[in-house]
Parts: sequence; C-alpha cells; structure tokens
Amino acid sequence: MDMVAFEHLGFEIALGTYLLASILFVLYVSIKKRRLGAMGVALVFFGFVFQTFALIDRWFYAGHPPWVSTYEVMSFFAWTIVGAYLVLNIKSDYKSVGVLVAPLAFILLGFASMQPTNPTPLIPALQSIWLLIHVPIVILSYCAFVVAFAASALYLLKDNEVSAESNKPKHVERVSEKTQGGQAQKEATILDRFRLEELDELAYKSVAIGFPLLTIGIITGAIWANSAWGSYWSWDPKETWSLITWFVFVIYLHARTQNWNARFAAYISVAGFLSVICTFLGVGYVLPFMETYLGVSAGLHSYAGGDAVAGTVFFCGILGAVLLLLFVTRRRPPSADAAPSAHTAVNGS
Amino acid sequence: MNLAVKIFTSTKFAVAVIAVIIALSAVATLLPNGNFVFASPFFIALVGILSISTIICSLTRIAPLWRTIANPHINVSDQFIKALPYHAYLAGVKLSDLRGCLKGYSCLEASDSKEEALFAQKGRIGRIGPYIAHFGVLVLLLGVLVGAAFGYSNQYNNKIAVIPLGGSLQIADFSLKLSNFSVDYYNDGTVKDYRATVYVLDGNSTEIHYVTVNEPLTHKGLTFYLYSYDSTGLAELGQANWVAFQIKSDTGVSFVWGGALIALIGIMLSLYVPHKRIWIKESRQGVLFGGMTNKRLVSFARELDNMRSELGNADRADKTTQSGG
Repeated sequence: MDMVAFEHLGFEIALGTYLLASILFVLYVSIKKRRLGAMGVALVFFGFVFQTFALIDRWFYAGHPPWVSTYEVMSFFAWTIVGAYLVLNIKSDYKSVGVLVAPLAFILLGFASMQPTNPTPLIPALQSIWLLIHVPIVILSYCAFVVAFAASALYLLKDNEVSAESNKPKHVERVSEKTQGGQAQKEATILDRFRLEELDELAYKSVAIGFPLLTIGIITGAIWANSAWGSYWSWDPKETWSLITWFVFVIYLHARTQNWNARFAAYISVAGFLSVICTFLGVGYVLPFMETYLGVSAGLHSYAGGDAVAGTVFFCGILGAVLLLLFVTRRRPPSADAAPSAHTAVNGS
Repeated sequence: MNLAVKIFTSTKFAVAVIAVIIALSAVATLLPNGNFVFASPFFIALVGILSISTIICSLTRIAPLWRTIANPHINVSDQFIKALPYHAYLAGVKLSDLRGCLKGYSCLEASDSKEEALFAQKGRIGRIGPYIAHFGVLVLLLGVLVGAAFGYSNQYNNKIAVIPLGGSLQIADFSLKLSNFSVDYYNDGTVKDYRATVYVLDGNSTEIHYVTVNEPLTHKGLTFYLYSYDSTGLAELGQANWVAFQIKSDTGVSFVWGGALIALIGIMLSLYVPHKRIWIKESRQGVLFGGMTNKRLVSFARELDNMRSELGNADRADKTTQSGG
C-alpha cells in the first residue's frame, strides 16, 4: 500500500471511529450504562492511534508538517482535542465529556474531508523554521481553550442544576454534595460525577496552559511576520482576533486574582472560546463568505482558500450551540430564600 | 484627584478599558479597510489609559506585597493558623521534626521563653510574576512607540530600493550591489523560493548576503526585504533585470522582543510558581500547623498530607482542604 492510501485509510478509520464513539457516548449519557462509556473511550483511543499514524505518514510524504492546508489543520486540531481528552481520562473520570469531544472530532474531520487533500508545496513565505514552531503552538493553545470551555460549560450546567435542585440554601446543598461523594442518593446524571470546584479548577488549569502558549504563538507569529513581510504587526484580521482572544483571557486571569465569582469566570472562558472560534473559523471562512455573498469587504488576505459556505455553516453551528448553552444555563430569578451564589474561585489569591 | 487615583488603581476599570479595546478591535475587523480604527486617536488614547492604569495598579500593589513578603509574621496566633485553608494539630510532634520535612522551603524562626514558632515559604517570585509581566508589556509598548517615532523620521523607512542586476545603489554611507537573482521551482512548476545575492560595500569591507523571502538583509539598522522583481525579464531571458527591496528602519523592534520575553517570563512565573506559606507553632504536646497558597490549593494540600504521613501523623488531626462556599 502506498503512503497516500495508508494516510487516507487511517484518516477514514478515525472518522468512522469518532462517529461510532459519538453514538456510544450519546447512549452512555442517556441510559447511563458504565460499559458504554468505557467502550466509547476505547473506540476514541483506537481512532486516535490511527489518526496519529495518518498524520505521521502524511508528514513524511508531503515533506512538510501536517498543519499547512485546511485539511491538515482541521485534522491536527481534532487530534490535539482527542489527545487532551484521553490524557485527562488517565487520572480522572471525564468519560462523559466524550459526548462533546467525539462529535466535535467527527465534525472537524468531516469538514477536513470536504477540503482538497492533495498536499501542495510550500509557498516561499511558509518556508521557515517558524512553521514548525508557531502553528502547532497556536493550535495547542486553542486546544487548551476548548478544554477550558468544556469545563466551564459543564460548570454552568452543574451550577444551574445545583441551584434548581431544591429550595435549601446553596451552601448547605454543596457541602452535603461534597461529603457524600459518589454515593448520590438519586439516580446519577452525568453532571453528578463532577464537583463544581473541580470543574472550575480544570478550566483554570487549562487556561494556565493555553494562555502562555497563545502568548508564545503571537510572539513567534510576530517574529515570523517581521522576517517575511518587514513588519511584526499589521492588524490583519487573524492577528487582531488572536490579540482579542489574548485580551479575553487576560480578563479571565485578572478575574481569578480578584476573587470574582467562579460563574463570572466561566462566562469569560466561554467568551474566550467564541473568540478562538472567530480566529480559527471566522477569519478564514466567515469574512470571505461575507465578502463574497454579502458584499462586505474586509480587505483581508485569507491563508487557505477553503470552502467559505461550509466554514460559515460550521461557525454558525458552534455559535448556535454556545447560545443554546447560555440560554439553558441562564440565571433563573432567585427564589425567596435562596441567596445569590457566593461561590468564589478556588484559585484566587 | 482622589477620584482619578481611585479609578486608575481599580482592576475593574482596567478590565473595562480592555473590554472596550476588544469591542473596537472586533468591529474593526468587520469594517471594510477597518485598520484606520487602530491608528485613530481614540484607540491610541485607550491604549495609553490602559498603560497608565497598568503602571498605577502595579505601583500601588507592589509595595504592600513586598512588605508582606519581606517581613512575614512568624509568630502568629493560634486562631490565625486555625483559619488557614489547610490546618492541623499534630500531637507528639516537635518543631525540630518538621524542619527536616520542609525541603526547598526557606525557614524563619522566632522563639521566646514561652513559645517557639516556625515560618516556612517558597515561591515568592511567583507573587512578583504579574508585575514582571506588566513591566514587559509596557516595555513592548515603549518599543512600538520608539519604532513609530524614530522609524518615521528615518529618511529611508518604507522606501523601495530598486537595484539593477549587476548594478549597485548607495544608501546612507554604504552601498548594495546585486550580483545575482534566482528563482527555485518545485517539480510541478510552482515557486519554491526567491534568492537575491547581494554584496554590502561599506568602507573597505565587503560582505555577501543571500536574501530570501524569510531572510531579509540587515545592515546598520536598516533592513532590506525582497519586495518585487522584474518578472518580464525572468520569463523571457531567464534572468531578472532588477530587484526591488523594501527598506525598513525600526529602532524599537528590540524593545518589542525584549518586552515580549519579559512579559512571557512574568506570565509563566505567575501561573506556574505558587507562593506557599506554612506556619508552625509549638502548642501543648505537639505542634499547630497550617498553610496557604495563592494557587492550586488541592495539590498543596496533598503535599502537606504527605508531609504529615512522613511524620506518622496522618490521621490524628482534622483538616480543611477546600473552602468552596
């Protein structure tokens, strides 16, 4: 079998496996059979191994790292997210997060498969050592922010569940929940496995990994731009949105040191995720889409041609999902005896 | 005046300014030719206000912080220790036993006739991290300012230097001679790279440089980027008749990189180095023992648990690891 065919086989196995795992995870969270969750993780791992081989194989035959074309970047991004999910599951039980991760990986790979897969030779500007450093660092930072988003989304869902559960004051509720640990008296939902503080701390830890990576990514990008175009910063939409993302997480980190409440931090983490999506999909697809179909000219140079319509649909899908999350977890009017949440960030100083 | 100080020392105000900067930047990417926003006096004023706020916030916070770090209270009250997020009473343990467990901690002791107390801490640098980061960002902004001020005043900045093949061009007190220009192709005919061979003649010295897309030529503070070339000659005769270089002069760029590096170090210190503090006090037949940290309380609690099991005192005392509510 030649290398191209092997790569496509690995890619397609991963694609199929992630789809199958998505179905298993949906079943797992709806009928709560432990074995389904374990099978889901095993399947995801299986797909991940094949995708790893596919990426390495492609690196060899394309002659450049597998993060240049849209096809490659989407696939690599999915690979980092699945990898982070598997790493998280080594120490703790985050199996049920697979209900988000597996479909996301499937959609990313599905989107990748709609793009041209033939490797194109590197244009002169991309032939730089920074291609090897800058791109994976930025993608890893995005991956960390996706993990932070997942933790914050679960935090918001859990926080709402806790406050909706009863009319008892919240603190008492939380303490009893903590001490009873896994032996919940009622039928366990997927959220019961997590403690609010754990989710909050997971979000913080992910941002603590993603933020320095994004900082390094922006700096290396500026160094690269300076050597290729003679200017380290030109406010193109990609640069601008990466800086916006950086600023959103600056707010997040300051919120932590100020002991602002954890729910507020979770909202900022969600905003940071939206900003990542704008940087990643918005600049590459939505702006060209607006330029082509709505006649709004942003005057940008997009890096990859790609399919503007599919990318815009993808973007709107994610935006819709986030808006749905915000709607579902919106603060309901407090009942007479329940005080507003005073749960503060664990990591604040 | 008082109000101004109050506003500028508030983190909430700084965050509000950042939020406005974010909103403006986002709108600018949606506008046709929206880049004018970033050069507008309003945007520059916002960055200026944020810088001043950063300076004032840092200055007003660093002095009290320094005092707590430099002169920690060693002998604290029992109530103080019992109010710490992690605390325990270790029966039958002596202060001297604990000293051996505090590896990597710097210890301070206070003793008088009645009682003995020990204070141990590590990771103080982590507390300074945010201020190092702020300083780095300010140096970076200074670099942008210097680049804008001196870059524009340099007569060569942003000029295009067109050099004929084999010819040379005098710039300031040196000259560039273009000896060759070549284009590399991939097998499928797309361009792999452009390469200009340039001699820099300065006084008696001659240096050879190969200028490619990712490797500009820098000499005496001026940087020459491949900008354009004579493609008609290339197609017909196999060689370009001329090559154009864009000249850039940015004296602030080293401040930008230096500032970015300082900021990065500060960010890493503040995120990865927790400031851990432990207070220990002899009390009755044992010691009272408590600790706090500014981040990652869960792992610090685990460290202290391990310390206790080393002393064979794991299960005798009560503790509070997290105070969530």
